[in-house]
Amino acid sequence: MAHYEDERLADLVKADRVHKNIYTDPEIFELEMERIWGRAWIYVGHDSQVKEPGDYFATNIGKQPVVMIRHKDGEVCVLFNRCGHKGAQVVGDGCGNARQLRCSYHGYVFDTDGALIHIPKEEAYDGTRFGKGRPEYNMQQVPRVDSYHGLVFASMSAKGPDLKSWLSGAAASIDNLVERSPEGRIEIAGGCFRYLHDSNWKMFVENLNDAMHPMVVHQSSSGTAKRVFDENLKEGDEAPFELEMLSPFTNNYEFFDKMGLTAWDYGHSVTGGKFSIHSGYSPIPGYMEALTNRYGEQRTREILAVNRHNTVIYPSFTLKGVITSIRVVKPVAVDKTVIESWVFRQVGAPEELFQRSITYCNLINSHANLVGPDDYEAYHRLQHGLQTQDGNEWVSQHRYLGLDEVDEDGTKHAVGTSDMVFRHQFQTWKNYMVNGGALQ
Amino acid sequence: MSAPPAAVRQSERPGLKALEQFLFHEARLLDEQRWEEWNALYLEDGEYWVPATPGQPDPKNHVSLIYETGLLRAVRIKRYKHPSAFSLQPKPRSVHLVSNVTLDDFDGSNGECIVTSRFIMLQYRREKQDVFAGSYTHKLIVRGNEFKIASKRVDLLNCDAPLENILIYL
Repeated sequence: MAHYEDERLADLVKADRVHKNIYTDPEIFELEMERIWGRAWIYVGHDSQVKEPGDYFATNIGKQPVVMIRHKDGEVCVLFNRCGHKGAQVVGDGCGNARQLRCSYHGYVFDTDGALIHIPKEEAYDGTRFGKGRPEYNMQQVPRVDSYHGLVFASMSAKGPDLKSWLSGAAASIDNLVERSPEGRIEIAGGCFRYLHDSNWKMFVENLNDAMHPMVVHQSSSGTAKRVFDENLKEGDEAPFELEMLSPFTNNYEFFDKMGLTAWDYGHSVTGGKFSIHSGYSPIPGYMEALTNRYGEQRTREILAVNRHNTVIYPSFTLKGVITSIRVVKPVAVDKTVIESWVFRQVGAPEELFQRSITYCNLINSHANLVGPDDYEAYHRLQHGLQTQDGNEWVSQHRYLGLDEVDEDGTKHAVGTSDMVFRHQFQTWKNYMVNGGALQ
Repeated sequence: MSAPPAAVRQSERPGLKALEQFLFHEARLLDEQRWEEWNALYLEDGEYWVPATPGQPDPKNHVSLIYETGLLRAVRIKRYKHPSAFSLQPKPRSVHLVSNVTLDDFDGSNGECIVTSRFIMLQYRREKQDVFAGSYTHKLIVRGNEFKIASKRVDLLNCDAPLENILIYL
């Protein structure tokens, strides 16, 4: 693709703005699939989805179908979902358990680590280069796989930083999610939403750390919830969790500014830290005790004092620790993105904690709720507004420019409504996209 | 319409025609966006539930596309008129078709009916029309000459597919 030479790509990202083509040009999207989604560590799934040998979960990395599967030796493998013979997808869809993977077209069979182990009419290959023991005809393992607290990541690039260094300061968000379990263990449970958007994947990723939008976009849901509950609750009634959840969305700018923003290497970032819109939830009976039994009082206080809002692990998912859930980004086309929402159970915690996360996801992440569709609408209007040829080719990122605080290790801090995170994400974007991925 | 007697008495098994007419009336209220009248068909603690996976056993331990009792319905209904509900501008429209109505179970001692049916709902907004289809399971309580909805479960055929917005009650 000669259209976007490095120099031209680099020119799309300025210190205070980005060119609109970044969101609208199908060529840029294809380059992103190759250079960002083909280089970064991409979230694949959680190992609790494949507990037993032979358990598999079929998904995508960028546009490529893959299968996460537990091999009989206990290792979790991520295989390209392609038969080594003629190229058919071996696993049709979804999840399940299989002793071996058999292609549904000609019946070639692969072991749970991808090795080709059975060929029908094998003698027909005598004297040819095709056959068992030739790794090029296996279901191929993706170049690199690693996991962190059971979260399985894959990289399509054989080179690059190891997972832990790459996660950088965002690793602490995963640590906190796991430590909030009295057994130090999480598992995926309670199903998944798959919310289809008619907009570019970066709009969702940016929005998760955009503290300027909730009071506008979510006024109709959060503001209305406050009013309806106020009118209906009698004195002394306990506020239902639904209200605790919805009402902080319309907190004022000062609140969101104080929440703060932090960004680390490789494009990761977080809103909140010491407090967030998730801070005001009522305690769950028995939870504190369960944590204290495991960690002691002081450590429990430290664990619960961490109140990160949304952590963006760039580019492929976002995470909440208080609400034990993640949202996984699945780019489909330049203007088409699926956002999957998954919930974790914190093993050993009262079920009420898990059920509260389920309620949160119903109310905020479902495509039939009162909050998600207004975000969808904002992205839709961005995608369409950027089609104008009005002489303004740029998307502004000027808010609080020049006011970032930078630590010695490169960690950046800013007030919650700063555009710092967007500027930071696009510097990372440029690093992946230009000079053969210099950052990698 | 006379008020139901205070004492519990044996209810009569409702006829299919009456059940159908009730479901058609409910569908019409939704299509005409008479939300408050629609909500008044429900018992106050009545549940409206759209599971997110086929055969979902309960709404507490698995995510649902919608799970609402009275207060949350009141929030949604009030939001329909909110000037800043941008996903409802332009306003969505719908057609609900209800068919294949059967009375699966009836308990004369408390007037509880389990009614199943099939539906198609067309949602139109901003040059885009979506088709949703599936089955309804209504738990209705017969009170004198009228029905109240104790629960409505909507099993959407493609509930676990990647879907865009559902803006109107199914």
